[in-house]
Amino acid sequence: MKQIAIIAVIAGIAAVLPLVIGESPYFTGVLISVLMMAALASAWNILGGYAGQYSFGHAAYFGAGAYTTMILISKFNLNPILSMVAGIVVACIIALVTGSIVFRLRGHYFGLASIAVAEIVRLSALNFDFTGGAQGILLTDVSLWGVDLNSKTPFYYGMLLVLVVTLGIALSLRTSKTGYYLQAIREDQDAAASLGINLAFYKNKALLISAALTSVLGSLYAVYIRFIDTSAVLDLRLSIEIILTAIIGGVGTVWGPVLGAVLLVPLAEMLRSNVIGDALVKQGMVSETSGLGVFLKENLAHAHVLVYGIITVLCILYLPKGILGLLGRKK
Amino acid sequence: MVSGGKFLQAVHFKGVIMTFFFQSLLSGLLTGGVYALAGIGMSVVFGVMNISNFAHGDLMMLGMYMAYFAFTLLHIDPYLSLLLIIPTAFLFGFLIEKVFIHRIIHHPHQNQILLTIGLGLIMSNTALLAFTSDPKILTTSYSSSAVTIFGGISLSVPLLLSFVITCLITGILFLFLSKTTTGLALWATSQNREAAQLMGINVSKMSAIAFGLGTALAATAGALIAPTYYIHPMAGHTFLLKAFTICVLGGLGSVVGAGVGGVIIGVVESMSSTYLSSDWKDVVVFIIFLGVLLFRPQGLFGKKGEQ
Amino acid sequence: MIQHLLYINHVSKHFGGNVAVSDISFSVDEKQIFGLIGPNGAGKTTLFNCISGFYPVTSGDIIFDNKTINKLRPDEVCHLGMARTWQRVKPLGSLTVLENVMIGAFSITHVTREAEKIAIEQLESVGLIDYAKKNAGSLSIGLKKKLELARVLATHPKMLLLDEICGGLNLTETETILGIIREVRDKGATIVFIEHDMKAVTAICDWIVVLNSGEKLAEGTPEEITGNPEVIAAYLGGGHNA
Repeated sequence: MKQIAIIAVIAGIAAVLPLVIGESPYFTGVLISVLMMAALASAWNILGGYAGQYSFGHAAYFGAGAYTTMILISKFNLNPILSMVAGIVVACIIALVTGSIVFRLRGHYFGLASIAVAEIVRLSALNFDFTGGAQGILLTDVSLWGVDLNSKTPFYYGMLLVLVVTLGIALSLRTSKTGYYLQAIREDQDAAASLGINLAFYKNKALLISAALTSVLGSLYAVYIRFIDTSAVLDLRLSIEIILTAIIGGVGTVWGPVLGAVLLVPLAEMLRSNVIGDALVKQGMVSETSGLGVFLKENLAHAHVLVYGIITVLCILYLPKGILGLLGRKK
Repeated sequence: MVSGGKFLQAVHFKGVIMTFFFQSLLSGLLTGGVYALAGIGMSVVFGVMNISNFAHGDLMMLGMYMAYFAFTLLHIDPYLSLLLIIPTAFLFGFLIEKVFIHRIIHHPHQNQILLTIGLGLIMSNTALLAFTSDPKILTTSYSSSAVTIFGGISLSVPLLLSFVITCLITGILFLFLSKTTTGLALWATSQNREAAQLMGINVSKMSAIAFGLGTALAATAGALIAPTYYIHPMAGHTFLLKAFTICVLGGLGSVVGAGVGGVIIGVVESMSSTYLSSDWKDVVVFIIFLGVLLFRPQGLFGKKGEQ
Repeated sequence: MIQHLLYINHVSKHFGGNVAVSDISFSVDEKQIFGLIGPNGAGKTTLFNCISGFYPVTSGDIIFDNKTINKLRPDEVCHLGMARTWQRVKPLGSLTVLENVMIGAFSITHVTREAEKIAIEQLESVGLIDYAKKNAGSLSIGLKKKLELARVLATHPKMLLLDEICGGLNLTETETILGIIREVRDKGATIVFIEHDMKAVTAICDWIVVLNSGEKLAEGTPEEITGNPEVIAAYLGGGHNA
């Protein structure tokens, strides 16, 4: 109950946030990214954190949602909500194929196979014509029930809604039979099987829930940005960013992925928009015309993945349970 | 006369088809040899340390750059530069194991994977900052030369040289693993870490050696393909997935399997570019990967049958 | 005629070229406490793994409660009413003791509150209730063995397969566990008991099968077994070699 109250309070604050910060498209954009990454990492966490099955290819489900939605809207002028549902179906089919191949096996196979599946999806999207190939898909105009979808605000609330739903699912799973079974699988597969747990069934269940939520986020993102290509929605780097967000926040916990997104997305945004480099110059710590200044200005924008890499290494070595683990809270 | 001409044409046509086929088969074999080297490197690490090394592709990328800079800055032939690259890469891998990986050797394997992912991201993005994302091309005097055999099948000289060197290195590796004390200790560690430790083998040193070897092999493979590929910071990504496919195909941890797996993948790739389209060759490789998991998860030479 | 609950019919298990279990047959009656003993490497745990669905048998049949179970998965075997413990205990380390036992109880209920109730009952019956909120990974070996027992009991099994449940325990701990096992039997369950230590087995078992090098060496009452020169030789021989 306490956890549900926390979700309600946070959602309430988030809901009035746009009114407080006003109509800044930039900040709204950053907040949308935070909400989306929090939801993506939470959805990944249901499979990776609860069941201990690390998927390194969640971009496949995100991309499945994004591509299905964009194709259906741009080619068949389908209602965005219906095309989102279609995206869920496609993502679930991909998930079922992956799961039925690898969940019979033990060990490192799921992680490897998840990458292989994601690469097959990515290369297919890149090489087929109906997916727009390397050009991707552009959406010029979209509306839903008369709501203007050219503004960012509807997407802010859309992402918030999906995040709340994801957290609700994560929370209710935790205290249900399925959630306990997934954790048993994570801890010891032999013990779990001997206690009557059908390993493949429950792993597939977790994968399907996770893939469906991820696909919804992909659909939402696609309509929000109105342009997708494989490097935006199907790249391995996206899969890795999702995992890192969950790990750095605290894998297997309800709030870890949210915390991870709140910390990492603004950090990446600052690096990308060169806020840090500019600040160093403005503070007079680095001269703009010096070699270092020029280097920072030109390159720091590309460095956010490098920073992710460094944080990951430090996190695994010193904080394997993430920041929430450091704070010593289990939930 | 007319029908004779047609007959000759048909024979010629058939000849062209066959030439096409053997051309594709042979260049696949040659590339496959280099893939095999990368696969063997990953397999040694997996076998001895039971770690899936996600930085393997990036180590290959570093090997490519090493060969490139040895050539452009020091004017050393890329194949000769191996004498420099192999010991450097071995030392690099040995140190990475000592500083990072050995600290998580008893952690759950997800953490090991993430650590190697993190290390890989650091390597590739440092390369991106240092060398920019512009692809580099290593052009030697013989880069585009080819030899023609059996009247019609032309083989690229750099690929041929790479293949010969691959065979040489694989041979030396086998002698090392089967004849030297260190090699046998590595083998024993890969069979049963605890038992090896009881027998007095310094298993943590073996891990460092294995990772050094894996790194050296990855860098060698990178250097060997440098004259025939674009060199760029994200090149490792594709090779990582290929190396995994090769290892799973051959049986995780099996050195012989990785060798055979590499050659098979090389041939499959080459055949699918010839007969399907080069856009789809990687898809074919990954479908084979899933097929292996579905029908023969222990791989062609897998030692871990039941369990 | 007495009803056989478990019937092992000419079961063999090979690993590649190695024969781990060779042509073994025996049957276990309802409400029996049945001992499976033998020196290290005799094939006891392999046979357990076959019975509980972890290894496919190479040949032969395993019949439990009138159903052939040798093609079933471990979870299916568990749902038929057979539960096992592990020689090397397998606590679900980062979960609490209570949650560990609840996971056992979920095989007979879908409701979390119900599972919690069953788990608390079982924890009380093995004397672990004071540790309910502790992390399972942090328990001592003796308590972990009790936890294994509580966890399988929560599945309300007809038959319990206990793999060296007393191994590594001191005398008092062994006594407690044996006491719990007797109680469980008196409530109607059947128990198959692997033990390395002859004393524990002869103290509690109604019937004993002795394995040696994958084959059945002898079977009989505890008195017959302890008096059997072949069994003594196998044990002493094993002891000398070890």
